[in-house]
Amino acid sequence: MKEKILKFENVKLIYHTVRGETVATENLSFSVEEGEFVAMIGPSGCGKSTLLSLAAGLLAPSEGSVERRGSVGYMLQRDELFPWRTIEKNIQLPLEIEKKLTPEAKKEARELAEKYGLKDFLGSYPSELSGGMRQRAALIRTLAMRPDILLLDEPFSALDYQTRLNVTQDVAGIIRREKKTALLITHDISEAISLADRVIVLTDRPARVAHTHTLDFEETDPLKRRENRQFSAWFELLWKELNV
Amino acid sequence: MKNTNFSAEHLKWRKKRKIRLIVVQSLRVGLLLFFLLFWELSTRLGWADPFLVSSPSRIAATIGSLYAEGTLFYHIGVTLLETAIGFLAAVALGYAIALLLWWSDMLRRILEPYIVVLNALPKIAMGPLIIIWCGTGSKAIVFMTILVGIIVVIMHMLSAFLETDANKLLLLRSMGASKLQILTKLVIPSSRAAFISMLKVAVGMSWIGSIMGEYIVSRAGLGYLIVYGGQVFKLDLVMTATVILCALAAGMYFLVVLLEKILVKNTKN
Ligand SMILES: Nc1ncnc2c1ncn2[C@@H]1O[C@H](COP(=O)(O)OP(=O)(O)OP(=O)(O)O)[C@@H](O)[C@H]1O
Ligand SMILES: [Mg+2]
Repeated sequence: MKEKILKFENVKLIYHTVRGETVATENLSFSVEEGEFVAMIGPSGCGKSTLLSLAAGLLAPSEGSVERRGSVGYMLQRDELFPWRTIEKNIQLPLEIEKKLTPEAKKEARELAEKYGLKDFLGSYPSELSGGMRQRAALIRTLAMRPDILLLDEPFSALDYQTRLNVTQDVAGIIRREKKTALLITHDISEAISLADRVIVLTDRPARVAHTHTLDFEETDPLKRRENRQFSAWFELLWKELNV
Repeated sequence: MKNTNFSAEHLKWRKKRKIRLIVVQSLRVGLLLFFLLFWELSTRLGWADPFLVSSPSRIAATIGSLYAEGTLFYHIGVTLLETAIGFLAAVALGYAIALLLWWSDMLRRILEPYIVVLNALPKIAMGPLIIIWCGTGSKAIVFMTILVGIIVVIMHMLSAFLETDANKLLLLRSMGASKLQILTKLVIPSSRAAFISMLKVAVGMSWIGSIMGEYIVSRAGLGYLIVYGGQVFKLDLVMTATVILCALAAGMYFLVVLLEKILVKNTKN
């Protein structure tokens, strides 16, 4: 059996504000294995981003436990590239933070960027890139810190439909090729089906696991999956489960 | 991707833009010239009393005689130095305090009401105290300048620091960034635009501070010339000092704009 990279056990998280308390998750249990691509879908406001903050260790659970092996790479809805840094400097940011900006590390980061088509943009500023390119740069930045698990919080939802399909294809390809473990949050059902090995459906707030499905596609290519006959069957099932 | 092979339409657009630029520039200068001419003529033709409103030629003559006496650059220098020192000190101290308040949430909450009150307090009310504490020399004026400028610097920068993008903060924290790293890699660089706009406000504030200070205590400087001229009813002197002040304030403002250009060029937001 493969090793578990991330494990939630009966996790509860309460947000405290002056107006009162919000229970964002309760009795939440799931795990992610090494090399697995897990997608999570859930109604909006159910506590998905909270769950990622817990996974990244930015929040401590009120009850239960979150266990994680290794480091995380976070990717958000917008690219969050720093506009005053060139793409190359943006990609180096996590290395700077970890004080690992050695010449070799720089070279590796640059090679990664070149491998995935950012060669000509290394000296450019984010504002000079298209939305899709920026999101790709954000992914390279995330990968540059060699994370053991990628946490993706609706990373494509700010893009227009056309770009989104391309970038999804693109990013999925990169993640598969680099053999990364990933936990993707989305509220786009078809995105979840086209990308993941396993889909977890969450309940309304407080978020719990409602259903888990292992997707038995032969292929991992998102566009091919979309053409697969099983695709619509999965879509229908997940749609129903989301809208109970 | 720069293209210099422009279409006819683009060339036309460029030309139109250039013409508009020239028109704006020349109208700007024209307005000033017209104003000066009107001012001069109205005193010459007896529409206005030159004793009360002075006139460009009398101002020029006053500048000439101040220069001949050897006091022109002395007064300018005194005021300029006081203003510049007060400005730099207010910006440096205010920025440091804003950083401190960003760093410590607790401290910020404790000090918030005091800052609000200090902001509302008319600094001129501190005049007598300042004289007692700092004497009647340049020290008092610099102190006044700092006092007037510093609160604005603190409030302006603090609110910019606090507006740092929450998602970028989240991202840095997920990378394991320390508070110092968050400060140097995100909070300070992302507040650069606010820094420039703060400088512009602070320039104005330090002139208010230094002239106010000179009104209260001084024996030299442009503020002193204005007060003295008023007391002995030499309105030419008052006007002259005011005009020089305008020129200096404009000069300092342009320095800030120049700094802005340099900073923006190096960051390209
Ligand atoms: N810092 C906070 N303080 C208080 N309440 C919060 C905080 N962050 C989130 N919440 C609340 O917790 C609940 C879950 O928020 P969360 O952002 O995790 O949901 P989400 O599923 O990611 O939403 P969305 O689909 O809009 O991205 C929401 O009701 C939200 O109002
Ligand atoms: Mg969210």
